[in-house]
This record gives sequence, structure tokens and C-alpha cells, in this order.
Amino acid sequence: MTERILYVAIPALTIGACHAYATTYHTIESAQKACFEEGTSFESAAVSLTKAQVKAIEKASGVRVRSDKQRVWKATKDGVSTGWFIVDEVLGKHEFITWALALKPDGGVQSIEIIDYRETYGYEIRNADWRAQFLGKKNGAKLQLDEDIKNISGATLSCRHITDGVKRLLAFYEIALR
Amino acid sequence: MVDSGSTFAALIGRQRVLLFCLLAASLGTVSLTAEEQLFGFVRGAETLPAGRSEIYQFVTVRTGKSQGTYVGTDFETEFEHGFTDRFQASVAIENRYIYNRGVDGDRDALDDMNRYRFGGVRASSKYMLLSPFKDALGLALRVEGGYAQHDEVGGLPEKEFFVAPEVDFQKNFRDDTIITEMWMGTEWAWGKQPAEQYPREIAFQGGLGASYRFVRNWFIGVESHIRAEYPLFRLDNFEHYVIYAGPSIHYSAQRWWATLTCTRQAWGEGIDEPLDGRTFAEETKWKIRLKLGVNF
Repeated sequence: MTERILYVAIPALTIGACHAYATTYHTIESAQKACFEEGTSFESAAVSLTKAQVKAIEKASGVRVRSDKQRVWKATKDGVSTGWFIVDEVLGKHEFITWALALKPDGGVQSIEIIDYRETYGYEIRNADWRAQFLGKKNGAKLQLDEDIKNISGATLSCRHITDGVKRLLAFYEIALR
Repeated sequence: MVDSGSTFAALIGRQRVLLFCLLAASLGTVSLTAEEQLFGFVRGAETLPAGRSEIYQFVTVRTGKSQGTYVGTDFETEFEHGFTDRFQASVAIENRYIYNRGVDGDRDALDDMNRYRFGGVRASSKYMLLSPFKDALGLALRVEGGYAQHDEVGGLPEKEFFVAPEVDFQKNFRDDTIITEMWMGTEWAWGKQPAEQYPREIAFQGGLGASYRFVRNWFIGVESHIRAEYPLFRLDNFEHYVIYAGPSIHYSAQRWWATLTCTRQAWGEGIDEPLDGRTFAEETKWKIRLKLGVNF
């Protein structure tokens, strides 16, 4: 009986005391504005990936696709395509990191914005210099920590997961968006 | 050593003492939080980032002897700081509450006791050689040393100094949602008398665990830990070895985390004890640990 009580009561006690924090740096709208010129309009172009596309993206990027749904907006200005805006989530240590990738019309990285960050450590990935390393990268780029992407010591997990996320979305663009 | 008079433990019974201790520990430290530890008795290769600190409160309940009633509760408060992104150090203070009645067999005789004891102080340092998030295998070296004023089994006086070097491994899988950790090391201790028969002792110890992030913030896992002791630093002078195993659950928020582990003695053998796959002279049937950590 004691054993049963311990197994049930103590986890319940722990669970009952839990709550989480989150830091929101952007709304989707403010992230769009940060990524593109003023006057750009955004049209939703959400994508549902087929199983074949998921496999192709995983093969091309070497990164696991966790969701077959991708939130995408097509950016236009004065009727001319100016690129794509993609909202994505990658795993943090405890929570998901919500972030956005803006692509140029040719599929190169235009910018990266962190939308929600809920982790204890690793917020340094918001550093503009770190994010700038990705500018112009296209599908096929190596995107490897300590090689073409510098790591931030103490924020390694977040750096690696965002780097993997960029790699995956560049393959997504090539396979499902272009 | 018998504490006479009406005692809280005697009044409410062993089971309730266990629950009370864990409940009190939970409520008393829930405003705190901590290097995130997915397991109760297993350590990995991660270290705190430079300039960050954590406070931990561990509560370990050891209970179950071959006869009688025994509940040893250890309260450990630890402060840890990351000096670089690869090097951290900590200091800790340990206290115990020992309750036992009728533990008086051939294999695990103890004087009755129901009292609080100051355990001792410890310090540790850890250096991460390889990162589990970046390298193929996480690897860290850790060393711990300390002074114990009362032993953890019977709360008996001692003047023990110990040093315990170890190696910690960590391998993560599937975007760091499956985390495996292993550590192994030795513990060299001097001054164990009069709590124990011999003045010095070497122990080989280690742990192994795997944990899975089943939903955001939550990990569930299994772990095992082992310890073998040899008095007088002589490997031909075997005293006992023990293996514990059991489940663990871990929750982590942005500023705090909690881990609960319940391990049971899976196998043990002790000198002068019957060969029935259990050892109780220095060990117990259960080892249950609640860890709370706050980072800042």
C-alpha cells in the first residue's frame, strides 16, 4: 500500500505545483514587418506535406520533420513577389522555440526572427550577429555548428536546433514551395 | 541511542512519515529551482553556462530493512555555479533524519533512533570535455569531496573525509528528446570509525539511465545505480554491493525543475549476510529521491 501511495501521490504533488514562463519577442505580424520592407503584403500559403515530401525533406536535410503542416505566407510588394515568410517550431530543452524564417524569391535566407523563447538558457540566439550568419544560405549549404555556423557557448542546444531548423526549411522550400 | 517519549513518527506510522517527509520537502522548497537533472541518481555530461547559478534541494528517503522499521531521510541543499561554459563547481550541506525501530537482526542490527543529525558538507567540480548537444558523445570529468559527521545508515558519529572522482557520459537521440546518461567512479573514504568497523574504505559506484521527453516539459525514464564497497582499500576485502533500479519522472519550467525517482533494491550481496540476493547491513529496500532546482 505504501508503495502505491508513493508512486501516485508524489508525482501528483509535483505536477500540481507546475507552471511555465514564456518570453514573446514578436507577434507574427511584427516578425513579418521586421523581415520585409514596409508596404509588403502577406498572403497565407499554408502547406500540408505529403508523406513523400516529408521523406524527401528529411533525406535532403538530414533533419527530422516533426509536423507535416507548415505555416507559410507569400510576400509581395506592388504585385511583385518579394519572398516567403515561414513560421516554425524547433525543440528547446523543455519547450518549443517559435521562430520565423524569411526567404528571398530565389530561396536564400533573408532573415531570421525569434518569436517565442521559453527556455532558461540559450536566449543568446536572438543576437543579431549570430542570426546574420545564415543570411544568403540556400538549400545544400552545410549549416553545421562550428563549421559554417559559429556556436554560442552555453546556448549550444538552441543553436543546434535553430541551425537544423534552417536546414530543414531550406529543403522544404526546394521540395514543397518553389 | 533510543529517543524516548511520544514521537511524531511513532504516532502516525511509517507510511505516513514517508509521505509527510516528501510532502514537507515539496512544499518547503517549491519556490526554489536548478543544472537540470533528469534522474535521481544518475549524472550526465552537461554543465551550467558561464555566470549562471542554481540551487538544489534533494530529499532522499531510504527505507526498508530485513526487519523492523527504518526510515533514513537525507536533506541536501546545494549551490552550484558555472564559472565557464565548461566548468562548474558546487558546495552542499547535508542533514539527516533517522527513524528506526526494531532493526535488530543478524544482518542489519541498529540501535533504535528517532532524531535529526547533521550529515556533513561536500564540494564538487565538473569539467565538460565534449558537449552532448554538439559532439557524438558528451563527456565530463567530475570530482567530489567532503566531510561527514554522521553516517547515513544509523546516524552514528564519524569523522569521515572522502574524495570521489568520476567520469560522466551522455548521449542524446532524436533531437535531444531521448537522453541517456551514465557515470562511473570511485569513492575513497577515511575516518569511518566508529560508525563502521573499518577506518577507511573504497567504493566503486555508478549509474545508468534513459529518459524520454513524452510531452513538452516532461521527461519519463528509468535508471539504475550500483555501489560496491571494499574496506581498507583492499579489493580482496569485499563488504557488500548493491544495485537499485526504478522509474523517474522529471518536469522542467523556465526557472525551476523537479525530479522524482523511486528505486528498489534489485540485487545485493553482503558479507556475513544470507545469499538471498539482498543486502541490508548498509542498504535498504527502497531509495526514493525528490530533487528540486531553481536557476538564476
